[in-house]
Amino acid sequence: MLGAKILLVDDEVTFTENMAKLLNARGYRVTTANSGDEAIRMLEKENFDVVVLDLKMPGMDGLTTLKEIKKLDLFTETLILTGHGSIDSALEAVKLGAYDYLTKPCEIDELVAKIEGAWAKKDEEVKKDIEGKIQKVVESPSSVFDVFPREKK
Amino acid sequence: MNNTGAGKLYHYKSGNDAARKSYYRRLFRRFIRLTLLCSLIPLLLVGWGINVHYTRFAKDRMMLAFRSKVENHRKIIELFLKNRVSGLQLIAKTHTRDYLTNVSNLDYVFEMLNREYGSITDLGVIDQSGRHLAYIGPYDLMDKNYSKAFWFKEVMNKGVYISDMFMGFRKVPHFIVAVIRSENANKWILRATIDTDSFRSLVENVRIGKTGEVYLLNRAGVYQTSPRFKGKIMEKAPEPVGEPHEGIEIRIEDKGTKYGDSPSPRRIIASTWLLQPQWKLVIRQNYSEAFNDVSHANLAALVFLLLSAGAIVVVAVFITSRMIKMIKERDLEAERLNKQLMQAGKLAAVGELSAGVAHEINNPLAIILTERQILLDMVNRKPIPDRDFMDQFNKSMSQIDNQIQRCKRITQNLLRFSRRTKSVIEPVNINQFLSEIINLMEREARSSGIKFLTDFDENLPPVLSDPSQLQQVFLNMITNAIDAHEGKPYGSIRVITRYFPQKKGVEIVFGDTGCGIPEENLDRIFDPFFSTKPVGKGTGLGLSICYSTIKRLGGDISVRSEVGTGSEFTIFLPSEPPGDLIKEFEGDSEQSTAAFDY
Repeated sequence: MLGAKILLVDDEVTFTENMAKLLNARGYRVTTANSGDEAIRMLEKENFDVVVLDLKMPGMDGLTTLKEIKKLDLFTETLILTGHGSIDSALEAVKLGAYDYLTKPCEIDELVAKIEGAWAKKDEEVKKDIEGKIQKVVESPSSVFDVFPREKK
Repeated sequence: MNNTGAGKLYHYKSGNDAARKSYYRRLFRRFIRLTLLCSLIPLLLVGWGINVHYTRFAKDRMMLAFRSKVENHRKIIELFLKNRVSGLQLIAKTHTRDYLTNVSNLDYVFEMLNREYGSITDLGVIDQSGRHLAYIGPYDLMDKNYSKAFWFKEVMNKGVYISDMFMGFRKVPHFIVAVIRSENANKWILRATIDTDSFRSLVENVRIGKTGEVYLLNRAGVYQTSPRFKGKIMEKAPEPVGEPHEGIEIRIEDKGTKYGDSPSPRRIIASTWLLQPQWKLVIRQNYSEAFNDVSHANLAALVFLLLSAGAIVVVAVFITSRMIKMIKERDLEAERLNKQLMQAGKLAAVGELSAGVAHEINNPLAIILTERQILLDMVNRKPIPDRDFMDQFNKSMSQIDNQIQRCKRITQNLLRFSRRTKSVIEPVNINQFLSEIINLMEREARSSGIKFLTDFDENLPPVLSDPSQLQQVFLNMITNAIDAHEGKPYGSIRVITRYFPQKKGVEIVFGDTGCGIPEENLDRIFDPFFSTKPVGKGTGLGLSICYSTIKRLGGDISVRSEVGTGSEFTIFLPSEPPGDLIKEFEGDSEQSTAAFDY
């Protein structure tokens, strides 16, 4: 079974590269982005299971990026990386719908555990959504077109 | 280094104190000067003005009084003399010489005159050659010839004559009044001697105060009556008599004007000239007595003025010292607030700085951590057969991890110091809370030979505060207390709680028997990064975190310490935290009930 698809967002290029290596070695499929804009562009193109997002970035910061991600309305769970001091903003991020937060620097095992949690949650959400849709279709078959709109090519 | 810094600070402070003291003294003097200037000068001006005007007024009144006195006396004397003259003239005009030369007739007239006017000593009729034709009186003067006497010539020329006092044949001072009668071709003279006693008593008996006197002088300056004090009738007066004039002359004679033997005091002298005879009526009184009332009034005014001035001085000094005291207190208060503000500013600045530094360090730390993990991953995948290398590799890796953890702790401390977490406010039972923490710390303390002594106030009410922040502060206090015993085999830590209903709060005291804090460090122990612990042992943030935490909770923290004996930290916590903290907390709980603990 393939590991989760992860988008790693941090302005430190070395950090993202290293992290990508580590996570790849643990079976995840990792894509890196070094700014909020880049992350949004990638999310528009591709689906990811988990986004690991650093809060402190130049330009578009983590919180703004998170809001943008939420606007896209994807089944993606977001994991926040933060310095210890900005726990308030981490909490705010959780309130905005992030899955959880981690303080930097963090152990790889910790990160992996949180990623697994986030992934599981994402899967559950997807499952719930599909179940809900099926339920709807079962109740009213004619709504099948509303529930599963034809994909635009 | 710390010590020299503190020493400088101390010297600067004491120099400042001296400067401030002299500043307050200057301020005091300036206030006093101003107050006195503003109140005493008008007072003195008013006093002086009243004095001058009143004195002038009183003097004018006194002069007027003297003038009327002289006037009255002159009238009395003139009336007296006129009476005598007109009496004699009436007799001379209504009687013939032949009738009056008859002694019994003359005696009858003499009796009548004395009955009507009195004070006539004798009466004589003299013919134009100066011989007595008839005489009634106590002396035997029938054979006297007056043709050579000075008055005889005068009366022959003028018709009416009043003489000066003279001794005459009788060798007693007397004066005469003579009138002439022309009967056909014959002229005869009716002459009377006036009783000097009754005349003199008219003048001499007048008493004006203690020093006032009235007397008469003739044109030659000879006393016509005896003055009250110095001099006698018929003697020459020492002062110049001056020329006859009309009206009344009043002058004030200066003190020490010398006439003859002794200098006189300052006197007021009023004089006027009689017409017939040309005598000078003088009223004289010592100035000091005449103006006694004025000087009394002036003295009273002066005393009152001095009393008022004294009262003003006393009040000015009193009020000014009160004011200076108030200013001093204000200054101290302002200084205290300033100090607090500076401390807060320092904390804020350091907080910002440390937050920045911590963030910047966290990123490289995260990278180092990932690099380490990559290496570990690689070695795990492809083990290296060289055992020595592997041993060293593992050792280095764990050391790197240790050091990273250490850095992390430091940055976390820095961030904790600077961050502004939202507080969780709930009722805290301080006694129970402290007991739990003490239980936690007891083992560590026992290993250092330290006992805990607790003295809890049973009636301590629960305090509305943030338990997690309090826990950190209390832990820090106890850790510090334990650390203070380093190098001592045993010791004790006292934890005391007290309730202060009037201050609406509780006090928690942490006392230790440790090394104490040198006085020069006491001012700085709450400063961030101030530490006396060896490098690597402490960040110097503990107490400053405690300080800012307690301040944020609306409390206060203070310290007393003696080197070698121990230190005592007293924390005051209000029963309820400041309003803005509650508001912040309530606003927060509306959005989310998720309480956050670090």
